[in-house]
Amino acid sequence: MGLLPRTHHGAERGGEGMISTIAYGLTIGAILYIISIGLSLTFGTMRIVNFAHALVYTIGAYALASSLPFFGGSFVLAVIFGVVVVIPLAYLIERFVIRRLYGQSIDYAIIATYAVLLIGVDACKWVWGATPLSVSDPIGTAWTILGVDLPVYRLIIIALSLLVFVVLELFFRRTVVGKVVVAGLEDKEATRSLGINVDKYFSFVFILGSCLAALGGALYVPITSLHPYMGFQVLLLSFAVVIVGGLGNMRGTFVAAFALGLVMAVTGRFWGAASETMVFVVMAVALIVKPIEV
Amino acid sequence: MLLSVERINVAYGHARVLSDVSLNLDKGERVFVVGRNGAGKTTLLKTIAGFLTPTEGKISFAGETVNTLRAEQMANLGVRYVYQDKRVFTRLTVRENIQLAAFAGNEKLDVAIDRVVQIYPKISQFLDTKAGGLSGGQKQLLLLGRALIGDPKLLLIDEPTEGLAAGIIEEVFKVLEMLKGQVSMLIVEQNLAVVRELADRVYAMKEGKIPAHLTDKTDIRDNAVLERYL
Ligand SMILES: Nc1ncnc2c1ncn2[C@@H]1O[C@H](COP(=O)(O)OP(=O)(O)OP(=O)(O)O)[C@@H](O)[C@H]1O
Ligand SMILES: [Mg+2]
Repeated sequence: MGLLPRTHHGAERGGEGMISTIAYGLTIGAILYIISIGLSLTFGTMRIVNFAHALVYTIGAYALASSLPFFGGSFVLAVIFGVVVVIPLAYLIERFVIRRLYGQSIDYAIIATYAVLLIGVDACKWVWGATPLSVSDPIGTAWTILGVDLPVYRLIIIALSLLVFVVLELFFRRTVVGKVVVAGLEDKEATRSLGINVDKYFSFVFILGSCLAALGGALYVPITSLHPYMGFQVLLLSFAVVIVGGLGNMRGTFVAAFALGLVMAVTGRFWGAASETMVFVVMAVALIVKPIEV
Repeated sequence: MLLSVERINVAYGHARVLSDVSLNLDKGERVFVVGRNGAGKTTLLKTIAGFLTPTEGKISFAGETVNTLRAEQMANLGVRYVYQDKRVFTRLTVRENIQLAAFAGNEKLDVAIDRVVQIYPKISQFLDTKAGGLSGGQKQLLLLGRALIGDPKLLLIDEPTEGLAAGIIEEVFKVLEMLKGQVSMLIVEQNLAVVRELADRVYAMKEGKIPAHLTDKTDIRDNAVLERYL
C-alpha cells in the first residue's frame, strides 16, 4: 500500500492535473516533515537511529481512530489524545532503551529499536487486528482553487506543518532550553562542562519528536488506511527525508520533506509504481554528493 | 587543600594513558602542568573535570571524593574545564554562548555579560556575532570569561595560548594574571614564557607520569629545568 493518497488522480492530464498533483505532493511533504523531524532530532542529538519512531507513529494513528467515538467524534480532541498518549510510551523507550545506547555503536541502536518496533507492531496487531481500518475525512469539503478541487483537510495539514516548523524554529532559536539543545547538538561535552545535564534536555527532545510522529500518524489516518504495518513504509521514507535534509538539520528536514513529497507525487502521476523508488534514488544521489559522517 | 589527585590511573579502553599520577592544589594557587604532545595533560584535566573516571586512585575536591561524579556535576561544584581547541558554540551568538553559562550557573544574563566584559571589554561589540566567526584569540577570551560565570572555585585551563598571535597571547596572559586571587587555576601550558611568569608551582608530565614537581621559583624561572620536559 502506497503513501500516495487513495484518491490520487494520477491519470488526469493537463494543467489542472498538475496542480492537484502538486497539492498532493505538498500534503505528503507536510506529513513527512511532521514525522521526520523527530527522527532527525534524535539522530542529531543522541546519534541514535531510532526505528521505534515508526511504532509511536502507528500508535498515534490507532489512538486517534479508537478514541474518536469517545470524544463524540471530535477529531481535534482525538488528535490531541493520540499525541498525549504516546508521551509515557516515548518516555519508557527513552529511559530503558535509548539511554542505554548512548555512545554505543550505532548498530546496537538499530537492532534494539527495531526490536521495540517489531514487538510494538505485534502488540498493535493483537489489540486492533490486522484488518485495515479507515477514518473518514473530518472536514469533507473541498475548495476550488484554479479550477481544481482541493480537500480542505489537506490544506489544513499543510498549514499545520508550517506551524510546526515555525514553532520549532522559535523554540530552538528563542528559548534557553532550545539553545541548550542546539549547543548540545554541536558539542555535547562542552555543554556538559558548563554544568548542564544535556541528556535531560535530549530526553525532552526525544519525547517532543515522538509526539510529532504521533501527530503525523493521527493526521494521516483520514488520508490513508490504518494497519499494524503502516509504520514500516513511512519509516523508510522518513529516513530518506532525514538523510536528504542532513542529519539533525531542522531546516534541511523541512525542505527535504516537501521536496520528496513533490518527487513522489510528480513521479506517481506519470508512473505510479516508481513514486517511492524515486525517493530512494534522490536519497542515493544525496548520499553520493554528501556522504554521512557518523 | 582544594584539589587532590592521588595516584590515579586512567585509560581509554585498554590503552593506559595516566599511571600513578598525583598532584594537589591549594585554594588561590595558580599551578601549571607542562609536558610534550601526547604526554597526557588533557587527559589529566578531563579526568579531574569528570569526563573520564580513573580506574585506580582518588580525586577529591573541597574535601569530597569526586572520582565518579560526572562532568556536569563537577561543573556545578565549581570546577570549570576550558577546552584546548577553543570550543565555543559556533552556531550561537556570543551573547547566547554567555546566556547558556548564565543559565547553567544560575546567574542573570547582564551580570554574566559583565563578567566577560570585565576580562575582555571589546567583547561588547561582538555580542550579536555568531561565535564561530570570532578569531582564535577572541574565542579564547570568551571561553575564559564564560568559565567565570557562576563563581567557579577552580578553572582547569587547557593550553590557553596555543596557536594564538603574540598580541593576543599578551591579553590572555593579563587575564590569567588578573584572575589570581579570584579563582584557583590548574593550567596546561607549553609556552614557557607564560609558565615562568605566572606559575606558583609546576608539574612536569611525561608519558602519562609526573616525573617532576617544581616548587622553587628559581627552578621555575630556569628555562633549562623546564625545557627538559618539553
Ligand atoms: N579519546 C582517546 N582515545 C584513545 N586515546 C586517546 C584519546 N585521547 C587521547 N588519547 C591518547 O592519550 C595520550 C595522551 O593524550 P592527551 O590528549 O592527554 O595528551 P596531551 O598531553 O594533552 O597532548 P597535547 O599537547 O597534544 O594536547 C595520547 O597518546 C593520545 O593519543
Ligand atoms: Mg592536550
